Amino acid sequence: MIQMCNVPRYADADMAEIQKMREAHQVLKHVDYEPKDLYHGYTDKRLRIDLSANSVEILDIPQEVKEKFVGGKGYCLRYLWDATNPETKWDSPENAITMSAGPIAGITQYAGTGKCLVCTISPMTDIPIDSNVGGYFGPFLKFSGFDVLELTGKAEEDVIIVIDGNKGTISIEKAPLEHKDAHVLGEELTAMYAEDEKDRKNVAVVCSGSASEHCNLSMLNFTFYDPKRNVVRLKQAGRGGIGRVFANKHVKALVCRFKGVKANLNHVYDIGILNKDGLKFHREIATLDDKQNSMRKSGTAYSLRTLSDYDILPTRNYKYGGTDKIDEMAPEVWQNQWLTQGGADGCWYGCSMACAKTADHFLLKTGPYKGQRVCVDGPEYESAAGLGPNCGITDPQAILELNFYCDTYGVDTISYGTMTAFLMECYENGILNKERTGGLELEWGNIEADLEMLHLMARNEGFGKIAALGSHKQKEYFAKMGWGDMAFMNDIAMEQKGLEYSEYSSKESLAQQGGYGLTNKGPQHDEAWLIFMDQVNNQIPTFEDKAEALYYYPMFRTWFGLLGLCKLPWNDIVPADNSLTDEPAKVPEHVDNYLDLFYGVTGVRIDRDDMIRQSERVYNFQRIFNIRLGKGLRKNDAIPYRSQGPVTEEEYLSRQERYDGQLVEQVGLTPEQVKNMSLQEKMAATRKHREAEYERLIDAVYPKRGWTLNGVPTVAHLKELGMDLPELLAVVEPLQDAQP
Amino acid sequence: MQLNNRPYPDWHEGLTIRGVMEHMRFTWPKLVVKVNGQLVWPEEYDTVVLKEDDDLQIIHLLGGG
Amino acid sequence: MKRLEKDESLCIGCRQCEEACSQAFYKVSDPAKSCIRITDREDGTHAIAVCTQCGKCAEVCNTGVITQDAKGVYRLNKKECAGCLMCVGFCPENVMVQCDDYLEPSKCTACGLCVKACPTGPIRIVEE
Repeated sequence: MIQMCNVPRYADADMAEIQKMREAHQVLKHVDYEPKDLYHGYTDKRLRIDLSANSVEILDIPQEVKEKFVGGKGYCLRYLWDATNPETKWDSPENAITMSAGPIAGITQYAGTGKCLVCTISPMTDIPIDSNVGGYFGPFLKFSGFDVLELTGKAEEDVIIVIDGNKGTISIEKAPLEHKDAHVLGEELTAMYAEDEKDRKNVAVVCSGSASEHCNLSMLNFTFYDPKRNVVRLKQAGRGGIGRVFANKHVKALVCRFKGVKANLNHVYDIGILNKDGLKFHREIATLDDKQNSMRKSGTAYSLRTLSDYDILPTRNYKYGGTDKIDEMAPEVWQNQWLTQGGADGCWYGCSMACAKTADHFLLKTGPYKGQRVCVDGPEYESAAGLGPNCGITDPQAILELNFYCDTYGVDTISYGTMTAFLMECYENGILNKERTGGLELEWGNIEADLEMLHLMARNEGFGKIAALGSHKQKEYFAKMGWGDMAFMNDIAMEQKGLEYSEYSSKESLAQQGGYGLTNKGPQHDEAWLIFMDQVNNQIPTFEDKAEALYYYPMFRTWFGLLGLCKLPWNDIVPADNSLTDEPAKVPEHVDNYLDLFYGVTGVRIDRDDMIRQSERVYNFQRIFNIRLGKGLRKNDAIPYRSQGPVTEEEYLSRQERYDGQLVEQVGLTPEQVKNMSLQEKMAATRKHREAEYERLIDAVYPKRGWTLNGVPTVAHLKELGMDLPELLAVVEPLQDAQP
Repeated sequence: MQLNNRPYPDWHEGLTIRGVMEHMRFTWPKLVVKVNGQLVWPEEYDTVVLKEDDDLQIIHLLGGG
Repeated sequence: MKRLEKDESLCIGCRQCEEACSQAFYKVSDPAKSCIRITDREDGTHAIAVCTQCGKCAEVCNTGVITQDAKGVYRLNKKECAGCLMCVGFCPENVMVQCDDYLEPSKCTACGLCVKACPTGPIRIVEE
């Protein structure tokens, strides 16, 4: 087992090199400002930077925006809407990248309270994407005086934007010499802007990586400095290609420096509440984490083996729900052989859940950094599952190498994993072959080919150019080239709205199919994770039950993004007496903690219904934003059949007893009839049934959410929410009677 | 016997809660177990013997990123 | 290593130690603000909780503001502390002090004031 106390510190950056880089900067704009102190969690200020004009504006956030949009994702979407129009594309100059940490963010007493939300119009989906990310930038932005940052326009050459929250300066600088890969760039900028070694923890960097100039799957890395390892750590705003937009604006990095993090920079209403709940929560983790998820030991990767046991772990492009090689990726393997134990691995101050694990001094075997020893952040569950079993890989060494290169190149591990799984299945079916891939043998589990594709993608060479498109555009390309049948590819490519699925197999849970399909940004699990409730617990058997869950959970979980919170401390630990509560799945005590935190910070008392109401306003705003940009209707909520049932014969046969049984129990055939059916007939009957079930689910969910059967929020519902804003009504009013 | 409101096909004399968990491969770390509505704590999983008409609930708490 | 050692059999439960400790920094007489904690057992004896200088507080601190001094005592640098309270929550002896009037918690520095205040001698400073 690798203990933190035995991990050698990483080497310092070469300060002579850093000095040369800094000297090459050319300041395009410099602004002095008076940082506004926070009051009850807010500065009520917006920082707007237009890179075409090199202009920096500091604007007030009106009270009505605060009331309706709360903060975080609410602010990000509000100002993204205002910056754009119905014709805006991801690479239009007016497309904005908005970042906001939310009113609770930046407190230090409670776990998971340092998140920043990021939104932009996505190159993958052509609608708003939102991502929730750790690291120090979000809170530092607040402490520097801004509730939201908005980047618009395009610079002519690569620039960095530097905010110093202590000195009250903002500058836009040409920065030609810094490296592009995140693990290098993060170190360079942290060393450059820290006054000395002790000051490194006061510097936060946002950057993508060398793939971002041409790869749709590009994300943003948010750093924090880890003083114990002496290394810059990377957390990701992963989904939807935000890094591509960032690079398209020629932004190389954002830097925010703020010295003096203290427990009450938010000038909260009642710090005693935060202290009390924070301490209670720390004690819960200290005593119960080892008995529950062991988040402090293996992070979210704890769940790989257990999800395989439940037939939920996506394996070979979601054909199957588990692998008999899962013991190679068991929690003990990560804990004993790879992940450093005993570190203080929170991605913001006060995160006792500490799930941000690392593999330290990891020796790279391929690529431009081959032979070097590096700090690998992760792997998180999604990364390990997507890069691993979904592509037929179970070797932790390979998963860590893929994870490292995805991070430093700025590539979203989830999209890369799911897309590679699709490409491997295309290879298996002859849609791709060695000639078409330029020699890459994309067979299941071919680690070398997988890594080579990733390196090609970063260099924008060969088949890497096709990989950089993402699965949605790959389907179109393969069909256009006459390589594959579009209907088959639509069935097996696990993407919806242009975004690749995250890593759960939803075949046996209709509610989870909705949990993925009826999302705003595309199939990500952060709205509703209902597999256990539905498939295992059988707690939501009726359409009405499922619809209620697909109303409550997406709204509840949206709230975390409004406030600047991480969702994990809600239910990746539960109080010892949680079993005794009425609804253990909702972890009522933790929900009450969050209501306390809101009151403690803002001084405004809200109840559980208010919480859902706050989310609902923003959720419906985002839905209408999608409609404004040409998606967001029922037809856009259709999902690939691979997420619903067995596409291929081998899939059906691998779970034949289950599927045959369902034809009797659910479809209503007699055992005799099933016995006499051919495999193709049984597959067709299963498909017909499952697809109809999904439509019935939608029929139940939309009205519950206050939408028409075409998925359009009703005027009456918007009025009820206080969201009958003229710009929203202009979008939805003409569609009120339109049929799906 | 019922497990999560579905008939449990593998009931036998002497079946314990642990026996059901092993058979079902219920390895999730956060479970709430109730027999006929009565909460059972983890210490008792090995010793509580299930009767043929018992209503067993093994509720898995949520996870998911 | 300099630390407090205890012999509970000698404790009479007078709480002079708690008084001395809470007065030392917080200038009040309040057992909740003492880094030594006495609890009465039903059999008439008393449990003494003291900092063993185990270092758990330093391990959980993400910014490394709790460090060992030359004598092995873990000391919290309040100027650099962000008041996250993880050290308080993870202390195995539950002897760190959190108080809403201050942004940072405090911990035992093995200063010995409690030893001086104690009339019966169950606690002493040892240096090993």
